[in-house]
Formats: sequence, structure tokens, C-alpha cells
Amino acid sequence: MFVPPPILTSTAEVVAVVVLLATFGMLRAPLMTSQINLYRLQSLAVTALVVVVGATHGLVGIYILAVASFVLKVIVVPAVILSLLGEADSNIAHSNVLKVPSMVLVALVVSLFGFITIDALHLRSATLPAPALGIAVAATLVAFVIIVFRSDVISQAMGFFSLENAVSMASLTVATAVPLVMELAFLFDLLVAVVAFGMLMRVHHRRSGTLSTDPLDRLRG
Amino acid sequence: MPDEASPLFILAPLLAFACYLVVPLLIPVLTSFPLPLGYMGDILGGGIILSTAGFLVALAGTETGSPYAQLGSSRAMTFGALIEPTVLFVVFVVGLITSTDLPYAMSQAVHSSLGEVLAPAHVLAAIAFFMVVLADTGRIPIETHSGTLEFGMIDEARVLEHSGPAYAFLTWGSSIKQFILYTILIDVFVAPWGLSSSRELGSVLSAIPALLAKAMGLGVIFALIDNSFSKLRLFKIPEFIVAAFVLAVLAVVIFYLGGAS
Repeated sequence: MFVPPPILTSTAEVVAVVVLLATFGMLRAPLMTSQINLYRLQSLAVTALVVVVGATHGLVGIYILAVASFVLKVIVVPAVILSLLGEADSNIAHSNVLKVPSMVLVALVVSLFGFITIDALHLRSATLPAPALGIAVAATLVAFVIIVFRSDVISQAMGFFSLENAVSMASLTVATAVPLVMELAFLFDLLVAVVAFGMLMRVHHRRSGTLSTDPLDRLRG
Repeated sequence: MPDEASPLFILAPLLAFACYLVVPLLIPVLTSFPLPLGYMGDILGGGIILSTAGFLVALAGTETGSPYAQLGSSRAMTFGALIEPTVLFVVFVVGLITSTDLPYAMSQAVHSSLGEVLAPAHVLAAIAFFMVVLADTGRIPIETHSGTLEFGMIDEARVLEHSGPAYAFLTWGSSIKQFILYTILIDVFVAPWGLSSSRELGSVLSAIPALLAKAMGLGVIFALIDNSFSKLRLFKIPEFIVAAFVLAVLAVVIFYLGGAS
């Protein structure tokens, strides 16, 4: 069995950690543009992880996934969201439920839950270092925290896209050899989500004049 | 000395200075092997001595009853208490990696392999400690070091009432503390290369320019941060501290639950 050099294993671990840290960064980012840039960084990290897996295990087909992931997640999706944000002329990310330090501590608790759960399941990846799956699950849960606690449509969309990145990383960890067509189908799902969120953002902004979802909570007679 | 102040007002800067001089005995400054008194205290011992110095300076700041010095002392103690959990988790990482809490052991573990430097737990702990150093030395984004506006001051406000030799000891001590924290970051976490491994005088002396070069490199990074970011509002500082705390906790979790690297 091919054993990757320790330095590549360490690099893969660090890149996986970057994915989780970017999710935490998106949670505490005060500006929507910062969230989009962090999503770009997170997507770049996921792409780099795909390349590292391809390089260390000789999986040539996976490079197609890396290229598609790079084009879509690092270039197209952020560009589309930024253009929508430009039309809305608003940049402050709203959060009325909790202050940032409390949100981060809640996210830390749920990420610990993810780590402990995966550790208890004794799942081990054949292609990535041991902590990668725990990190992916922790990032997924933190992305849920973004969606729950942030109260504007851009942040919630970025939370959803970030969740998709974390799920991609988890699938890369547990099912690296999944057929390429299925991996590409996941990316197509992302495209559909971008279109759906784009329409929602436009409609919501046109009706309420803001990107905040708070007006949706008001009772109407 | 002000009429209202006790002798502590004059003694505290000297005692704090003495504390700062003790810490280099416990950490790898020029040598990779421990000094004769190197095992006198572990990394927590060094932290306690630094905290004692900070406490003494804060106490001296409250002696005259000046509102600004008291404000600075109060803030320094408040944010110091918030930073402590981060420091503890960084120490846990050191303990988990080396099975001891001796800075020399950590330095040797990092020196022994590049893979150790790139291990995620180690990288996260190093970044968390970097943020602690930023906060502890009163640098941007926590504090404007050269600012003159009292309302935003933290560390700088504590020494507003001092002058003459006492003030000189306080500022000199502050510089020594900064250099100690730089040395811990460089020689324990990031780049313990260039340390002397033998007891020969020439070897030890050659470690001095290496340390100065590494410290200057780190100083450049701090200067870049100082000139690239703005100061955080006082009530935003906990956000910065909690970010460092998250990094330190994740370092422990990734090491402990993710399997030792």
C-alpha cells in the first residue's frame, strides 16, 4: 500500500484545518464581502486538498474534479454573489441573536461535538489523515451555525455554500474513489443552489428593500 | 514619589524588571540544552512570573489614584484574564506533543522534524500564541502602542504616573517582556534553528546573531501588522481574543481526537 510522505500528510492536515478556520472566519466576519472572500479561500483549500489526494495516491481522474471545483467555487460562485451584492448596495452582515464571541463559542461547542462523534465512530480515511473527517463534520456543523445565527440572505447563502464545501471534503475523505460523474453531479447541485439563492436574494431585496431576513419574522395582518 | 503613593509605587517597577530577567533562565534563548536553572520552572512557571510582573505594574498604576492609570490597570487585568485560557490551551498542546511542559523539550521536538512544524495542532497553537503576543505586548489591533489618546490605552495607561528611573525601568522591562515573548514564539514554536547545541563559547556566541536576525524578522511582521490594520474598538477586543482561543482549543482537539501526528 502506498504511504504518502509525512510532509504531504501534514500539508493535507493543515489544508483541512484551513477549511474549518475559514468557516469560523465566515461566522465572525462583519462584512458580506469578507464572507465571500473567505468562501473563496475555503474553496481554494478544498481544491488544494483534492490535488494533494490526487498527487499522493495517483488518482488522475480526480484532477478533473479539482479543475471544475476551482472554476466554479473559486471564480464563478463568488463573482455571481458579489454582483448580486453590488446591486443590493449593502455590505454589513446582520446577526441579532447573539454577539460574535458567543456565536464563536457556540460554534466551538458544536464542532467539538462533531470531532467527538467521529472519533467514537472510529471511521478512518484511506486517503486523508485521521483528523480530516472530524474536521469536515465540524465544518459542516459550524456552517449550520452560520445559517441559524446570521440573519441576512447573503450570509445564509454563504453558510450553505460553505456547508457544501465541508460535505465535499467529507465525501473526499470517506469515498475518494466515488465515480467522477457523481462528484460532478454534486457540483451541479451547487449551481442549482446558486441560481435558487440568487433568485431569493433578488426577490427578497425587491420586496423588503434590505438583505436582512428580520422583516420576514414580522406578523402581518 | 506622589504623596498618596506607598513605597510600592517605586518598588514595583524594579520588582517587575527582576521578574522579566528571571524568565530567560527557563526558556531556550541561545542554547538548545537547558541552563543550570532551566528545570527550575516549566512553561507555566514562566507564565506565572510574567503575570506577577504585570500584576505589580498594574498595582503601581493604582497607587496615585489617577483615573487613567487605574483605567489602564483595570483593563490590562481584565483582558489578561481573558487571554489566560488561550495560554493554557497552548500549554496543553506543548504538553501533548512533548509529554512534558518544558519549553526546551518543545523546542527540541520542533527542531527534530519539519513534519512536526507543519502538524496542524502545532500550527494552530503557534498562531494562537502569535495572537497572544500581539495582545500581551499591546500591539495593533489591541492597542496603539504610540497613541496618546488615554481613552483607548491599556498597557500604556498603567505607567502614565511614573517618571524618571522608575519609568525607565518600566519601559525597559516592557521591551524585555516583548523580546521574551518573541523568543518563546521563535525558539519554542516556529524556528528553533540556530541555537547552540554545545557548551563552547564560540557556538553560544554565534547563536546571538541568529536570534537577533529571527527576532528582527518577527519584528518586521509585527510592524507590517501595526501599519496595515486599525485598532479594534475596546468592546471588539474579546472577538480577537476568542479567535485566538478557538485556534488553541482546536489545536488540542485535533491533536487529541484526530490522533497524534
